[in-house]
Amino acid sequence: MKLTVPPHKPRRDFLSTALGIWGLLAVVPVLNVLVRYITPPKGTPTTRQSLEVGLVDDIPRGTAKIVRFDREPVIIVHTSSGQFKAFFARCTHLGCVVKFQSEGAQGFHCNCHGSDFDLNGKNLSGPAPKPLTALKVTVQQASLIVSTTEV
Amino acid sequence: MLEQLRRWFGDRLPIAEIVAYFSKKTVPQHKHSFWYYFGGLTLFFFVVQIVSGILLSLYYKPSPEAAHKSILEIMNRVPYGWLVRSIHSWSSNLMIGCLFIHMFSAFLMKAYRKPRELMWMTGVLLLFLTLGFGFTGYLLPWDTMAYFATLIGTEVPKTLPIIGDWGVSLLKGEDEIGGETLARMYSIHIIILPLITLVVVSYHVALNQVFGSSVPLGTIEKKAPIPFFPNFIYRDIGSWVIGFTALICLSTVFPWGLGEKADPLASAPFGIKPEWYFLPLYQSLKIAPSTVFSLSGELIINLLVGAGSLLWFLVPFIDPRASRGQKTPVFTALGVVLILYIIITIIFAFIT
Repeated sequence: MKLTVPPHKPRRDFLSTALGIWGLLAVVPVLNVLVRYITPPKGTPTTRQSLEVGLVDDIPRGTAKIVRFDREPVIIVHTSSGQFKAFFARCTHLGCVVKFQSEGAQGFHCNCHGSDFDLNGKNLSGPAPKPLTALKVTVQQASLIVSTTEV
Repeated sequence: MLEQLRRWFGDRLPIAEIVAYFSKKTVPQHKHSFWYYFGGLTLFFFVVQIVSGILLSLYYKPSPEAAHKSILEIMNRVPYGWLVRSIHSWSSNLMIGCLFIHMFSAFLMKAYRKPRELMWMTGVLLLFLTLGFGFTGYLLPWDTMAYFATLIGTEVPKTLPIIGDWGVSLLKGEDEIGGETLARMYSIHIIILPLITLVVVSYHVALNQVFGSSVPLGTIEKKAPIPFFPNFIYRDIGSWVIGFTALICLSTVFPWGLGEKADPLASAPFGIKPEWYFLPLYQSLKIAPSTVFSLSGELIINLLVGAGSLLWFLVPFIDPRASRGQKTPVFTALGVVLILYIIITIIFAFIT
């Protein structure tokens, strides 16, 4: 009896197409898992609304202090005129921590790209696009309290 | 015995055929041949990076608490640790320097002409991978400069529409630069980038073996081409000897320093600057106005750099006349302007 050669090609075409479709379908969930895995989980939202940063005497006139308010650095300034002011200390350009300028016209300077801010946090020069975010400072029994209630 | 061993390997590994192929392959000789050596030198420094990087990883501890201390230990207690670290740092700079020379010489010689389009494109890909190595490796010592340079670098994508915030969180791994950022940078630096780079560099070098070195348009080859093996490879090794000598001299005479341990609460120190190869981007960000037609300056710089990189990658298709053997002085001028921009911004960033 003569054996007939099975028609391999249609079977291979079917297999190639099936594997191709499986590959395309598998890529989506695999990429989904991958992208979601490498995207870091959101940090715990800030619950703290105020922070005691020390005594009034800790910050002499014309100086500043940087403290951590949850994850963010906050700069508290005791101005020459005796006022206390507080701002989130990250430069609104690319996030470097700003420095208090006690000499000359008082204000804040970012050493990273040279942005300047006045004592009210307003951006004066350099690439910073926005003012610094101001915070409320209150004095309670000689203690300085900074709160997230924006000024 | 030796003959038997040679025959045993010869039957299983076609060394003779490989040597014959490389002896048949030739390298052109002309007045611009000098620039051919910078590709090999870049590869040489990449190998130095792999070896010195593996050695550093034996002692380095990637956590904000331990990273700085472990580098201090490497530099002060581990025998020749200071030298290995200095070699790793200097070699990275020399590698990037050679890569820039190699890339711009290839651009000016229009080496991206048909059939070498993919050689050019893999080369540009290698440039981005190398800059990625520089960026991810910079944070690892966890000193003040490293901390702020990474802080700035990871914030750069934030202005991009849609993917900006996601890109920043992907790079940082958390809300601020910390342990997760360091873990990510370390993983990218020692696993992800090396794996990708090894594949791309193998392809780039294999293409070079297939198509050979490009001769610039209009260049007259007065001398006969030389065989790749042994003639060119010996000259290549000669350039590696010079490169290695320069590397050892720099590493020992100017050992790489380490700043103070990073303090996330401290103000950014005065004079903070990234490594020289990021200075053109740094200076562009610095001089960009905060807003232009209600768009932020950073966004404009980001878009310009992104579009410029894409065009640079696609140069072989933007300049098809070069492939037809016609001169394209506009592209030569573009290359010169780009080189001048890079040099001028680096100088400005240093002196201001």
